[in-house]
Amino acid sequence: MPWCGTAVRLPRYSSGLRRIVFILAACPAWAAPLDFPAARRMVEAHCGKCHTGRSAVGGFDASRLESPASLSLQPRKWQSAMNRLREGTMPPRNVPGPSLEDRDLLAAWIGGTLKAAACADGITPAPFLVRRLNRSEYSATLRDLLNIHINAGHALPAEGAGGEGFDNAAETLFLSPIHAEKFLEAAKLAVGYAMRDTRSRAVFMTAAPGQDLSDDDAARKILEAFVPQAFRRPVRPGEVEKFLGLYRGQRVKGGGFDDAVGFALQAVLISPSFLFRLEEANPAPEPRLADSHAMASRLSYFLWGSTPDKELITLAEAGKLQDDEVLGKQVARLLKDNKAIEFAERFVEQWLNTRELGRDIKPDGKLFPEYYNAEIQGAIKYEPVIFFQEILAQDLPLETFLDASFTISTDKLQRFYGLPPVKDLRQQPKRVDLPANSHRGGILGMAAVLAVSSYPHRTSPVLRGKWVLDALLGTPPPPPPPNVPELAENVHGAAPRTLRERLSEHRRNPVCAGCHERMDPIGFGLENYDVLGRWRTEDAGQPVDAVGVLPDGTRFAGPEELKRVLLARKGQFARNLASKMMGYALGRGLTMEDHCAIDAIMEQLEKDGYRAQSLVRGIVLSVPFRYQAGTRAGAPAARQGARAPAARQGARAPAAP
Amino acid sequence: MSRFLISRRTLLRGAGVGLGLPWLEAMTPRARAAESPAPKRLCALYMPNGVHPGLWTPETEGPGFNLSPALEPLADLKSELMVLTNLWNAGSVGGDGHYVKISGFLTCTTVTKTLGVDVSCNGVSMDQVAARRVGAETPFPSLELAVAPVTTGVDRNVGYTRVYGSHVSWSGPTSPLAKEINPRSVFERLFRAAQPGGAASSGDKLLLDSVIDDARALRKTLGAQDRLRVDEYLSVVRGLEQRIERASRPERKAWRPRVPVDGARKPEGIPKEYAEHVKLMLDMIALAFETDSTRIATFMFQNEVSNQNFSFVEGVSSGHHTVSHHQKKEDNLRQYQLITRWHVEQYGALLRRLAAMKEGERSVLDSSMVLFGAGIRDGDRHDPHDLPLLVAGRAGGRLAVGQHLKYPKDTPLANLYVSMLDAFGTPVERFADSTGPLPGVLV
Repeated sequence: MPWCGTAVRLPRYSSGLRRIVFILAACPAWAAPLDFPAARRMVEAHCGKCHTGRSAVGGFDASRLESPASLSLQPRKWQSAMNRLREGTMPPRNVPGPSLEDRDLLAAWIGGTLKAAACADGITPAPFLVRRLNRSEYSATLRDLLNIHINAGHALPAEGAGGEGFDNAAETLFLSPIHAEKFLEAAKLAVGYAMRDTRSRAVFMTAAPGQDLSDDDAARKILEAFVPQAFRRPVRPGEVEKFLGLYRGQRVKGGGFDDAVGFALQAVLISPSFLFRLEEANPAPEPRLADSHAMASRLSYFLWGSTPDKELITLAEAGKLQDDEVLGKQVARLLKDNKAIEFAERFVEQWLNTRELGRDIKPDGKLFPEYYNAEIQGAIKYEPVIFFQEILAQDLPLETFLDASFTISTDKLQRFYGLPPVKDLRQQPKRVDLPANSHRGGILGMAAVLAVSSYPHRTSPVLRGKWVLDALLGTPPPPPPPNVPELAENVHGAAPRTLRERLSEHRRNPVCAGCHERMDPIGFGLENYDVLGRWRTEDAGQPVDAVGVLPDGTRFAGPEELKRVLLARKGQFARNLASKMMGYALGRGLTMEDHCAIDAIMEQLEKDGYRAQSLVRGIVLSVPFRYQAGTRAGAPAARQGARAPAARQGARAPAAP
Repeated sequence: MSRFLISRRTLLRGAGVGLGLPWLEAMTPRARAAESPAPKRLCALYMPNGVHPGLWTPETEGPGFNLSPALEPLADLKSELMVLTNLWNAGSVGGDGHYVKISGFLTCTTVTKTLGVDVSCNGVSMDQVAARRVGAETPFPSLELAVAPVTTGVDRNVGYTRVYGSHVSWSGPTSPLAKEINPRSVFERLFRAAQPGGAASSGDKLLLDSVIDDARALRKTLGAQDRLRVDEYLSVVRGLEQRIERASRPERKAWRPRVPVDGARKPEGIPKEYAEHVKLMLDMIALAFETDSTRIATFMFQNEVSNQNFSFVEGVSSGHHTVSHHQKKEDNLRQYQLITRWHVEQYGALLRRLAAMKEGERSVLDSSMVLFGAGIRDGDRHDPHDLPLLVAGRAGGRLAVGQHLKYPKDTPLANLYVSMLDAFGTPVERFADSTGPLPGVLV
């Protein structure tokens, strides 16, 4: 395993730390993890001078490191030490510090040791955070509830991201005054549209006044069906009555049946019970399995970005969504459904940062006019998204992301990539088998990824290398130091000619070298792709030099060999993907306990040959995903250690105190 | 609000007693007479990535200052302009090179370092301090406009959520205000608000009341943490309800636009070209000020760390953030300066638009205060020392424009905000790390 830290049993420390969002440091992929004596030596050498004894700076005494368990004496301080080591802000810049490699190793040792302590006696689920629907969830939910085909949430402000980098993170779903206005408008728009559309009406106007049914009873029937769907739970006493009151009020004022029902529906759609994902609080001290209705929502917002469908609701009503086998089957069903495109699009575009393509990151229109074609833009945008969806739906191994014999293409994209035409392939993106030597297959050969890690006017080995380290391996390099010094002037005063020569200046400067030695070679391996990801063998009249040498001496030339290097680290890739997906599934930043659950998922994943659905199933069956925290902080949901596969932890539910 | 009432009476008296009620009725749904006292307006434009450090500061001080190369586009506006030198934002030192700088630009505080879980700017932005006091007098307490949506993702490189890089306005420590980026939708809001009764239907109030009922009932079933979230919603819904209530007051007390909004001027939507987009958004601010739909606006030219491509500017071939890391290379600095000047030109264009909007003897610019600035000075250094800052407009005669004011090194930026809030008519004792008003700013 490329992850660092020794597994030791530590006394449990205060549960406070469990709640802190925890960024686990991965080991640099090319180094062996530290053992305790080595870690202690490093701490003594680099921290001891200031952080010793009673007058230790910042109240952090690093000298009391007698065993790994010593970390639990001041876990928060150690976590902060870990973060500052990784960022390069501690030891302070003005004193000689450890090498970048050593920083990462030590940070990873601290993280691993803290995590081992947290995992030692079971996993405590973090509390479910109430969150409003984000913009895309809102639109998809209205689409499914009312069977409308307009984007009802288009006027809502866009959301930022938190946690693992997704816009469904509860912590960053803020509310501004403008939301009240926009939600009101959107509800009117959606209901107005739905009322005029016969296909929509068939879905939600479930009753019509007639000989045997008074207007009032018809309205009641409609609301009795609609309110629980909209609120994603059974109605509470008086709820339908309240909305019926609004209907009646409109009728008294002379409104027609449709208008009055529509008015009541608008009220439902701006109610906090609709706009917020709420779960009834768990009054018990111990964690419990989330109830079936909560699970229906957790599942459908994870895999569809939308409200539960009839089948999920039926299962929830029968209380079946606490059963492992049922959940497993539902995962497979949801992933095969077309609505899984919502998950694919939201997840992939934020994981790979390709959402910014065409937003903040736009290829230069003068230099790359080929990009400014709606069909090409669409094909480029959806290639990684549908590729991801295909891997999930077909349950392919996760390494397919790195290397595949197919891609998702259109007729225009084939031409754009210089690939042969495919029979019956038109504007609609489809799975296409790749010929030999296509230079495609896998995320790294996709235009969206290559463009989003380029400058508008030229490629950047630095940005591409950083992108691979961050998005694929989960080891983002630390930021450049503030006040980056000037690059050493060329002795002869002549400007270096090629990009590679200019970047080698970077790596001659010791302040820059540590990180650039990691980033630049990876980026060089991708230099055969231009800003838009098209294959090239020459750049500005010079032959492309796509050779990269990693700090450990691994040498590769071109993307095919770079892929081999990454495939050799598929465990690290898979773990990073698992963390991202867990963050997306939970809609929040990950805690140390969540990483314990990921450990278990990784074990199962390895046994299952890294099948994609095994990852999704592992997340769905994990303690953090399916449990509700109790009132007693730190109470674990499952008694066995974190080593047990997540699936089996879930099977022990409900957790016995 | 009573101020308007008096002024209308004055107006009627002036117009003679012979005027009958029918005339009044005919006039009321339309614009408020432009002769009523001009309200003060406050606007802040934020530019990412700093400026070319050597070409920003004018060489000479005082009223007769010489425009620096970066400020040349403002030559015709020199008498309306105040250049401020040596102010800094102590709160935004450290942290990282960008996120801390932008989110603290109008708050003068240090934001909490986080990927999201405990987002806090630890303060309130100065525009929102003003909005709290006068926001209720106009349909919109404030407008937050931009051309780019919030940047996706978290920056694990430096450990900040990009939420920080995308907001300058904070109504509270944990409330970054969402931005409007579609000029058409801003226009529609302004247009609707200008209709009698704010174009709100009687049903709207019922709907909002129903939400408030729901939220109250719901609170009881929730834990303390969850209740806070629902309360947030409750409070924004209440805000809207109050606004609708104010709009549906009896005619005499209701707000009306100072000039009518011409529905035919509705923008199409988000234009493809960045420059056109910026122009339209600034037009919306001008329109909002002219109609008195709001008195407070902020605008972000881009999110921080933006690498907006400026190749549409003659002589520029690169992205903003890229050239801002100029490494003292001549070509980078040349492009950096061109981009800075482009921003200054847009600022000038807004000022000219406001100056062309007449309000009796004066112009909208005369009663406005338009701040322009960045959260760092030099893109190579990421330092919040000697920030590039301009203020234009006279705030109804309160601001001593037409000079270059040079302060002792590292004078708090917050002091400028103290003076601006005073000029705006919403004085504060202190603001963040202020040590007092900034001498020379007020008349």
